[in-house]
Amino acid sequence: MDQTSPDSAGIPAVHKVTGADADAAETTVSVTGLWKIFGRKVDAARELAESGAERDRIQAETGCLVAVQDVSFHVHAGETFVVMGLSGSGKSTLVRCVSRLIEPTFGHMEVCGTILADASETALRELRRSKMAMVFQHFGLFPHRRVVDNVAYGLEVQGVARDVRHERAREVLTTVGLDGWGDHYPQQLSGGMQQRVGLAHALAVEPEVLFFDEPFSALDPLIRRDMQDELVTLQLELQRTIVFITHDFAEALRLADRIAIMRDGAFTQVGTPLEILTQPADDYVRAFTQDAPIAKVLPACSLMRPVGDVAVEQGWPRTTETATLESALPFLLSEHHPVVVCNAEGDPLGLLHQDDVAAVLEQNLR
Amino acid sequence: MSQTVATGPGASTGAPAARRRSPFAVGLAAAAVALVIVGFVASVGAFPESWNLGLADPIDRTRRWLINNQTSHWLYTVLLNPLTDLADAGIRQLEAILRWFPWYVDPVFCGLGLWQVRGRVAGALGFCGVVLIGMTDLWQQGFATLALMGVAVFLSLLAGIPLGIAAWRNDRFAGVLRPTLDAMQTMPGFVYLIPFVLLFGIGRVPALIATVIFALPPVVRLTDIGLRNVPGPMVEASEMFGATDRQTLRLVRIPAARPAILAGTNQTTMLAMSMVVIAAFIGSGGLGQDVLRAMRDIDVGEASEAGIAIVIMAIILDRFTRGIATLGERWRGQEPNAHAGGSLRAADTVTIRWIAGATGLVALVGGIVGHNTFPEWLQWHYAPYINDITAWARDNIYDIGSSGVGTGPLSDFITVYMVTPLRELLSSGIPWPAMIGLGVLGGLLASGVTLGLGIGIALFLIGWLGMWELSMDTLAQTLVAVAVTLAIAVPLGIQASHSDRFQRLMDPVLDFLQTIPSFVLLVPVITLFHVGRIPGIIASVVYALPAAVHYTDLGLRRVPAEVHEAATSFGATRWQRLRRVELPLAAPELMVAVNQVIMLVLAMVVIAGLVGGGGLGLETVNALRRSDAVGRGFEAGIAIVLLAGILDRLTRGVADRLRPPAAA
Repeated sequence: MDQTSPDSAGIPAVHKVTGADADAAETTVSVTGLWKIFGRKVDAARELAESGAERDRIQAETGCLVAVQDVSFHVHAGETFVVMGLSGSGKSTLVRCVSRLIEPTFGHMEVCGTILADASETALRELRRSKMAMVFQHFGLFPHRRVVDNVAYGLEVQGVARDVRHERAREVLTTVGLDGWGDHYPQQLSGGMQQRVGLAHALAVEPEVLFFDEPFSALDPLIRRDMQDELVTLQLELQRTIVFITHDFAEALRLADRIAIMRDGAFTQVGTPLEILTQPADDYVRAFTQDAPIAKVLPACSLMRPVGDVAVEQGWPRTTETATLESALPFLLSEHHPVVVCNAEGDPLGLLHQDDVAAVLEQNLR
Repeated sequence: MSQTVATGPGASTGAPAARRRSPFAVGLAAAAVALVIVGFVASVGAFPESWNLGLADPIDRTRRWLINNQTSHWLYTVLLNPLTDLADAGIRQLEAILRWFPWYVDPVFCGLGLWQVRGRVAGALGFCGVVLIGMTDLWQQGFATLALMGVAVFLSLLAGIPLGIAAWRNDRFAGVLRPTLDAMQTMPGFVYLIPFVLLFGIGRVPALIATVIFALPPVVRLTDIGLRNVPGPMVEASEMFGATDRQTLRLVRIPAARPAILAGTNQTTMLAMSMVVIAAFIGSGGLGQDVLRAMRDIDVGEASEAGIAIVIMAIILDRFTRGIATLGERWRGQEPNAHAGGSLRAADTVTIRWIAGATGLVALVGGIVGHNTFPEWLQWHYAPYINDITAWARDNIYDIGSSGVGTGPLSDFITVYMVTPLRELLSSGIPWPAMIGLGVLGGLLASGVTLGLGIGIALFLIGWLGMWELSMDTLAQTLVAVAVTLAIAVPLGIQASHSDRFQRLMDPVLDFLQTIPSFVLLVPVITLFHVGRIPGIIASVVYALPAAVHYTDLGLRRVPAEVHEAATSFGATRWQRLRRVELPLAAPELMVAVNQVIMLVLAMVVIAGLVGGGGLGLETVNALRRSDAVGRGFEAGIAIVLLAGILDRLTRGVADRLRPPAAA
């Protein structure tokens, strides 16, 4: 893990707590030393991997595929943790191990205080019923059930009465903007709507932890944008703990509190979007950041400074915490005052200064 | 029935065995060649009679013992007789319930059901069909057949769905079950009857058991396949919600596999239908019995009335079970009310419910009053007209103006120039060791040592059973029928693959032909060809034609469009493209077609023993007719199974060989 921590890369953390510093008490998902090796000679493969051998060599020598290699991370309550990696990087395997849809080879996982590695079938089932849910890439919907029955499925397996679960399902459908679609079958809905059902499916059981396995990658770009915005808004309200898997760097930047960049089964860097953008750990990460439209993806709040004892004046330009940096640029270019970042109620949260923004943009250009 | 072939044994795709030339195989090939040479030089003919294993006698003795002990031995008093009584009571009860309804209610319900699942036209035709059965005074027989079928299908599903689930759950069990089902599906239905006659004598119960077993494979197979094809993410989603395995099975897997299970139910129903009809041979009663009796008397009119009643029933059952299978699909399709066939308007559903409700009330009243037999004043027989046509055909088509043109001379031609010489060649022209040698060689070339040895042993067993000449007779008829079928079907298939319009034209015809239970096909054929070997061959051709056309069409259509375009862009003519590109690419599918044709033809040729087909079929027919011939029939049955196995494995081996290596 050493090389993956931003601190050891010699870069001072800008702000926000990172996993290592987080208070253990509020950690909701905790993973330490997780390995997933497909094949028989797992020990030999692990030894090779620890001695720094490449995936291909390990496969040639032991016939094993090291899908996830010694991954550790901690996600605290209400945080959105995004794992970004290209296809084959092991990110989907990782999320399946953490939710124990597949058995990890080695490692320690804890979700909401339950140690998953030695949880019994019953304990695991109980945890899944009450504490966690997953949104799948291909929506994970049941084509033979109506939308409302799909959403109510989690409650049905818990034995909730029909009326109660249907009422709850229709409530959740309204939350995701699908009011009145309950009696249709999933195939009758568009892709974006189907994934809303997928989201409702997961939200209906009121989980503390939500796993997202590339939920938006099957959608076309415009719909994907909408869904991302919607998730951000929803998360502001719901404050769930989210582990989000994606191969889309821009998506990771838009959604994440923290991002882990995954490559060949291991994390190469973990940090806030700002850290990743401004202090990429290696060339691999830098390759992603170079094309990132930084002003479009970073939210205004990511660069704000605390208001402190500065007296905020009425005439200063204002923006919201979910707005992008780009939307604040016209004000920053035309005025000398800092931009005030406000929450939904209009209370000032912090100030966005010209110098800070300029410094970040300049760093990205280099 | 059209899907039967798709999941039949021929459709399974084994990985093509690598062509290895082990010293053992070379040695075996050399031995086979040596056998051929020795055989010809020593000019041995048919398999020596003196080597007969003599299985018939012990079987006949067993049969006699079974008959004598039917009332005293514990096997019967404790186990078999109560079972027999229970099954018989079940059938009787169902028949009584079916017949309780007033006669005018049945066609209405049938029409409404078809209307609901297939549309108005189907409903109207269904109504007329049922009325026609009643008019020809086949009401009682129809219900007897339906009751036997109903119980058989119920039992098949009762056993088959759990077996399918077990096969899905347990790979090792599936590994045993699948080859068993394959073998079951290669056996002609007829053969199933023999062991049960041996054990139970004749009657409805052995017919029921044979039907249940014969009809079992599709529903088992499709339940297994359906459950295996449930998408992984769906199951993962269910697990993620904390569903137990049982909940996932009940709420997700089985509903998702429902279309496959229902398709299996359709096929099982159709197989049960054809078997129940054939089972008339062992006294199942019903419509089959009428056909059988009329055919023995060569009363084509009577046979046609009963035969057409069977076809009507088969088509109604087919369309209905298929309709239900697609109904589930349709409801979750893009448009909730879009129909596969016709169009069902929402208003129609309401009308159907109203009529059904009203008819239900009428049924209650009428049933109590007792209107349960079809009234005589509505009866109308068309048998005399059919007989007139038959007589006319005999006088005018059999040998048109004594000119040597007509069905008679055609029949003579096939007999004299094709069947007889081939039979003589196979049974005594080629010495038996040479035949075995050729079989081994064929197996070696088609697949490998295992198949070569297997075929050698199977052929030797046929000879040992004393069935050499009869088997070669059946084989000759089969080969001729296969040749004729392919000569007709392949051009039709090619045409269908090139023209969507032609395919649309052919589809309903083929579909109709496939729905007709095999046995009934003999009726029109004997009208035109009298009795003998030829009607069997002609009926086989008709029976096997749809599958052959279908597979040829399918194989050619699978050739990708880019390949077509590439060939055309090189300036290939249509004929060149067909011969150099399409046929080679479609070769594996065509071989599957050959496999299906052989299996269907063999099944039919065996049944044709009834109308003078001779060969193994005649022996089995005799076994079912006379209790003293059971032993011989049993031997013939084993020979049929061996022959079917040889032909099936050989053609499948070739099909696998032709398949291009799978992409890595």
